[in-house]
Amino acid sequence: MSILSEITQYAISGITSGSIYAIVGICWSIVFLVTRILNFTTGEFVMLGSMLTWVFLGLVPGLGLAPAIILAIVCTVFIGIIVERLAIRPVRYPSEITYMVITFAAASVIRGVVLLTLGTNPHTIKPFIASEPIRFLGASVTSQVIFVVGILIIITIGLSFFLNRTILGKALMATAINPDGARFVGIKISTLNIFCFGLAGGLGALAGIVIAPLTFTGYGMGAMIGLKGLVAAIAGGWSVTGTVIAGLGLGLAEGFFAGFVSSGWKDALTLIIMIVFLVARTISFSPRK
Amino acid sequence: MKRSERLKPYIPWITIIAAVILLAIIAPSPYIMGTMVFVALWGVLAIGMGVLMGQAGLFSLAQPTWFGLGAYCAGILAARGILPAWAGIIAGGAFVALISFVIGIPVLRLRGMYLACVTLGILMIAQIVFVHLEDITGGSFGLKGIPPLSIGGFVFQTDLHFYFLSWALCIGCLWFFSNIMNSRVGRAIKAFRDSEVASEAMGINIPMYRLQIFVLTSVTSALAGGIFCFYLRFVAPTLFSFDLLIELVLMIVIGGIGSLWGLLLGSFVLTWLSEVIHLSFGKIFPTMTGSIDAILFAILVIVILIFMPHGLAGWVEQLFRLGRRSYEHLRSSLGQ
Repeated sequence: MSILSEITQYAISGITSGSIYAIVGICWSIVFLVTRILNFTTGEFVMLGSMLTWVFLGLVPGLGLAPAIILAIVCTVFIGIIVERLAIRPVRYPSEITYMVITFAAASVIRGVVLLTLGTNPHTIKPFIASEPIRFLGASVTSQVIFVVGILIIITIGLSFFLNRTILGKALMATAINPDGARFVGIKISTLNIFCFGLAGGLGALAGIVIAPLTFTGYGMGAMIGLKGLVAAIAGGWSVTGTVIAGLGLGLAEGFFAGFVSSGWKDALTLIIMIVFLVARTISFSPRK
Repeated sequence: MKRSERLKPYIPWITIIAAVILLAIIAPSPYIMGTMVFVALWGVLAIGMGVLMGQAGLFSLAQPTWFGLGAYCAGILAARGILPAWAGIIAGGAFVALISFVIGIPVLRLRGMYLACVTLGILMIAQIVFVHLEDITGGSFGLKGIPPLSIGGFVFQTDLHFYFLSWALCIGCLWFFSNIMNSRVGRAIKAFRDSEVASEAMGINIPMYRLQIFVLTSVTSALAGGIFCFYLRFVAPTLFSFDLLIELVLMIVIGGIGSLWGLLLGSFVLTWLSEVIHLSFGKIFPTMTGSIDAILFAILVIVILIFMPHGLAGWVEQLFRLGRRSYEHLRSSLGQ
């Protein structure tokens, strides 16, 4: 294997996982921008999407792939809405720490219930299209990679259209910029909160479903993917474009690090990137008065 | 001043020491003593995290990491025969003091949930380090071959020995932090939590005090880790993972961050609650008691945060206040 093909291979695997981090990062940012909540159930939405698809495929033998995917996404959207209604809405003394602890706990409940009902075994979903790997610059690419990158492109374009052109999207942006002002002009924020959790649930589930044929899916897959999405969202400054760029960059950095240095330590690299980004935000170079 | 009034501040301390000794006399069974060891050790962790959260306003999630680093450091030094066991615990504390000092300088510039994210990152990195530095830590199978703890010929063997050792640390820790909170450092930290601008205008060196309290809470956790490692004679990365963090958060949520006693109460309630859960659900789900724990605890966190935002201690306090008010009401109505 030549060095060029090796580089291509790592870049492709980096872009694949980077696309997933970008989608998950978008889920974090949508909820954070509108509600100022760090929603730690985001990673569990990813896990739910892939696990529910596997369940529906196994449960109903005649069910095709597309209906199973749609069912899984609808279920995850509902779970997102339930989390908002049952755990977030009734809080009487809201603070960012309270919300954070509550979403931690909600994630723990989801993970625990999946573990109890579906067990600890990892599962696989067949690739969407059965085909030979495509040869590209000496590297082999499975057809699933095209789905992953395609979904990211569709979500990015769709979201930017939604946020800039539709009335609901504009209401979301207005709330993100100035919640009090948005309430003033008659935007109903409680409805938007539900919508954001539902949207995050749906997009997260979609990310989990497209990545499932490439990796195993199991009850514990959500935590790390969720955290990496958070890193992408933080590094991207909570905007859609920024998150996509940061997610892809993170994936590439991880892919090359795993390829050339060590795959065991690649998660530590991501976490260090997050810490460096957060600490770097606090440093100002102008002299302190 | 009357003698009884002068003794008043010591009454809670005398009560708790008496209770600890009394329990060892009336119920010296290994099961109860062993569980109480964990109550004390988790209590030390919860007090550290609660002081950071409630008094200093720092939501740091790295407490299990300092605990784990203390345990690994003491365990490795003792297992390789580099230091005697008791010196290993102190060396663990010193090592964690150094690490938390170096990490604290850049990290404590952050506030609120960003600090929480960074400390969560530190927790995860520590997990990866514990698993992947196999030559030193024994990897994911854990560190074995830790010798028993002995100080000057006295060997700590039974649960009862560790019961007294861990409660000595716990009460010492409680006493230390309650004194710190009434000292110059404590007042400075509380002033900063209540008003940043005012305290800076008074000339309080806030970053230094925050760093001090951060390092102090890390060191007490590391000392608890040292005792933990010699009590179990085994250390594994999963012992210091996210699950422990959730339990600690629940202890703080149950106890409320208002008082140090509440935090100890939280540790007591949670540890015994998890024992009860293990006993009652152990037969139904024999292999998965851990995840039952996780689900029930997480639901409890949500319910308490929604319905009892000041925790069990705050709730008990409210009950007391209600009782006193109705007593006074009754007395005044009888007097008429």
